Amino acid sequence: MSGSSGEGTPRLDVEELEQAEELVEQHLPKAEGALGVAEGPQRRGGWITALWAAPGFGFLGFYLIAPLVFIVLVSFWTYQVGAKSGFVTDWTVSNYTEVFQDRVYWDNMWSSFYRSLIAVAACLVFGFPIAYFLALKVNSLRNQIALFVLALAPFWTSSLTRSVAWTFPLMGREGALNQLLSKIGLSSIDDPLIEPLSETSVTLAMIQLYILFMVTPLFFTLSQVDRTALEAASDLGGNWWRTFREVILPQTMPGVVIGSIFVFVLTMGEYGTVRLVGGNAVSSVGTIVNSKVELAVQYPQGAASAVLLVLALIAGVFVITRFSNLREEL
Amino acid sequence: MMRRRRRLDWSKFGLGTYFVIFLIFLYAPMILMAILSFQGQFGQLTFPFKGPLSLDWWRSLYDENVQPFHAADIRTAAKNSLYLSLTAGAIVAFLAFTLSMAFRWRWRFRSDAVGFYVIMLALMTPGYLLAVGTQLFWAKIGQDSGIWETALGANVIWGLPFGFLVMVAVWNRYDPRVEEAARDLGADQKRTFREITLPLVWTGIFGCFLFGFTLAWNDYDRTVLFQVASTDTLPLTIGGFTFTGAIRPDLYALGTATTLVSLFTIVILLGVAAVRLRFVGRGRVYKAEEELGVAEGLEGSVAPVGRAGG
Amino acid sequence: MAEEPVGRPSEGAASAAPSTPPGSDGLDLIDVTKVFPGGTVAVEDFYLHVDHGEYVVLLGPSGCGKTTTLRMIGGHEFPTRGDILLDGESLVHLPPHKRPTTTVFQHFALFPHRSVLQNVEFGLKMHGMPKEERRRQTMESLEMVGLAPLADRKPRQLSGGQQQRVALARVLVTKPKALLLDEPLGDLDRLLQLRMRVELRNLQRQLGLMFVHVTHNQEEALSMADRIVVMNDARIQQIGEPLAVATRPETELVARFMGDNNIIEGLVASREGDRLIVENGTVRASVVAPGDARAVGDKASVAVRAAAVELDRNGSGPGDVNSADCEIVFVEYLGDLVKLHLTAGGDRMLAKVPGEQYASLRGREGETVRIRWKEEDVRLLR
Repeated sequence: MSGSSGEGTPRLDVEELEQAEELVEQHLPKAEGALGVAEGPQRRGGWITALWAAPGFGFLGFYLIAPLVFIVLVSFWTYQVGAKSGFVTDWTVSNYTEVFQDRVYWDNMWSSFYRSLIAVAACLVFGFPIAYFLALKVNSLRNQIALFVLALAPFWTSSLTRSVAWTFPLMGREGALNQLLSKIGLSSIDDPLIEPLSETSVTLAMIQLYILFMVTPLFFTLSQVDRTALEAASDLGGNWWRTFREVILPQTMPGVVIGSIFVFVLTMGEYGTVRLVGGNAVSSVGTIVNSKVELAVQYPQGAASAVLLVLALIAGVFVITRFSNLREEL
Repeated sequence: MMRRRRRLDWSKFGLGTYFVIFLIFLYAPMILMAILSFQGQFGQLTFPFKGPLSLDWWRSLYDENVQPFHAADIRTAAKNSLYLSLTAGAIVAFLAFTLSMAFRWRWRFRSDAVGFYVIMLALMTPGYLLAVGTQLFWAKIGQDSGIWETALGANVIWGLPFGFLVMVAVWNRYDPRVEEAARDLGADQKRTFREITLPLVWTGIFGCFLFGFTLAWNDYDRTVLFQVASTDTLPLTIGGFTFTGAIRPDLYALGTATTLVSLFTIVILLGVAAVRLRFVGRGRVYKAEEELGVAEGLEGSVAPVGRAGG
Repeated sequence: MAEEPVGRPSEGAASAAPSTPPGSDGLDLIDVTKVFPGGTVAVEDFYLHVDHGEYVVLLGPSGCGKTTTLRMIGGHEFPTRGDILLDGESLVHLPPHKRPTTTVFQHFALFPHRSVLQNVEFGLKMHGMPKEERRRQTMESLEMVGLAPLADRKPRQLSGGQQQRVALARVLVTKPKALLLDEPLGDLDRLLQLRMRVELRNLQRQLGLMFVHVTHNQEEALSMADRIVVMNDARIQQIGEPLAVATRPETELVARFMGDNNIIEGLVASREGDRLIVENGTVRASVVAPGDARAVGDKASVAVRAAAVELDRNGSGPGDVNSADCEIVFVEYLGDLVKLHLTAGGDRMLAKVPGEQYASLRGREGETVRIRWKEEDVRLLR
């Protein structure tokens, strides 16, 4: 029964429309399938793909997989003074049991984990407005990119150098900041507000180093938010907070997750900066592994701690991804 | 309407200010470091600035006769850094390119996800750990573990995911139909690649090279395990000075110099990108009037048979 | 009545058994089938012969297989079964760059990093022509499409219509035996589309080249083709001259797709010799269909062109067969004509009347009118 005019409730004649639509879009999956397959050159050559992939995966296998596998292997082997490389290939779990019983190790692991989480949260809080500004407040694309590159440039420098520059001239006991704060009376040279060689100072350094890893994914996801959708939302009377929570935030989740993973992984695995800014007072798992390996040459134990670190990393990443159903398509 | 506009300006202004503060926060350390490198003979590692303004600390980077006489080490380190970074960059570019070519056409298969995760694993593995593993691995297979065998590999692994992501972005922008058109017109696979594909993506490949170069140039964690005086890189040298307490303005000069090199690569990349991107757009610009005018041009130039009229 | 002989009656497919045996001039597609890995059947049982100098249009909705067929001719896909011959020579094993066909792609696919001149000379360069000769022929081709003064521009600096002409020049300069066009006008502004139809057709006539053109736009097909191949669901529905396809559709899909047809789906109510009366409960139509073997009670559909439907102003005559009492739903004024949207007991009907009648029809939505049509305008659909 078609909707004739003037009778009953006004409505669209859906049947007609659907019929027309069906006619035009008939077998759309087929078309897509055909086009999807047809795009790009020959798809027969599975071996061509393999040829292209060979150098890369070969390199990855040799320089990434093999070392990692080896770490796992060594963690199960026995330490022996005087043996070649310091261990023999006798299987054992003693390394793990020793590590498990090592209170210091777990304390350090936990504080490292905790510190990374704080760094992630801080980077998120401080970095989000930056990404928001760049993506949604700056108007021309060219300006966006220019400012973004400006913000990104420090990332292209050595993290160690930046840590040096961060610590001594600026944040250290006699650094510019402390001197300034001392003059105001908030701090003093002998008892600085931000204790150097402390958790706090390391965390701050981490934020400075890695916040860009948070800003970048956020920037990319935020710039995909349709500005006209925002305008429509405000047209419909939504206040800013509402719009933010319901329109912007969900769309940014992939960026948040990626950024968090980046910052988390990078800060947990940190070595050089922690050593520099924290000295011997602060450890990361990187420094622990280092202490076992470089100083005591106890590779098996170092390997075991490393394996546990990686597991902790995976766990952390897992937790972060649970915060959103990340179905990301790159 | 007026109220809304004013509100918008306020938040933009506020965020803009925050952005500036943020930039200061990021650049301050480097700028302070640079300033301190120009101190005079009694310069210290921190403020106040002990003048007079002098280039001596900078000069000590390359002139062995100027104290603290590190120039020889620095020169060696610079050379090592340069060679290592150039090589790393080249390898990263090559591998990122080949890998992305493999992924171009098989993106929908499940095995690709595995491959993709492996590449991302390269990004997430802590550099120091990888160095340890590499060292162990090489020791086991009985080879020398000098910087070229090991640190180079670890640096490439670090740069590879970045390069790969860059190439993925490049391929996303790329229209594969031009390859079809080329083949349609008589070019076989090789020629299509040479004449069409490569020219259109080489900026991306160059970007990968710069990525690999810079990451290797700046790396510390992945190289530190293989530290041997003769093969040290610049970051290792800096680290060496720092951890032995030899922090003087020459360190700052060195740090500033290495930073400038890194920043310079960005400038190069941007320059290249700006030039090339100007005509690899897919913008379709057409205006009706111009069309009509020129459509008539077509009509006029072909000798019409039984002029059918417009 | 220049209709294609309906060969292979056992399959009921309106494919043309080649009227000229293969091995002779022209393009032949013989029993072409394409099944994609994964099982999708894109093209099935495709038979077609095209003469040199002919303008053939493959028409159909998205996904019907027309583009795949074109790509198989051009070499960008390979048939799962069947053969494609050009002047007697099989093309099926040749890659695209070895075939004497070239394609104009929907989005032009111009080389963005090359100038107009370099784009157009590309084909000649690939065939190894020396530079002097190449330049000369390229400039000729550019003159032909009116773009000679823009030879040094890059594609991005051109408008859509100009880009399309570059694409044309690029393929024509290689002097192919057959030119394949994949929705060539799809990306253009409507106004330009209309102009380009004429120009393209003119060009083809002057060149005397075989054009195989794919589109989903029925107006375009009617306007440009010597013959239209209507496809749906991987199969050929009908092949014929534009007049035949428009006024004498053979299947329901062709009738619906060409537009402005009234389709009456019903049962055979009665039969007298070759005359069938088809009824759907509200409307009855009679049609003379020799050769159709349907009996009373069988399903049958007929089509009546909207343009063949008249308003019966007097309301006289037995309102039985080939007429209907309808309620006016909407009077659509289109300048030259008026489309009357009607409904007869729930079925949509459409009538087209000259624009002059608008004044007398305006505002009469809701009224009942009687429409009628002639028996000879009724087509029995397969």
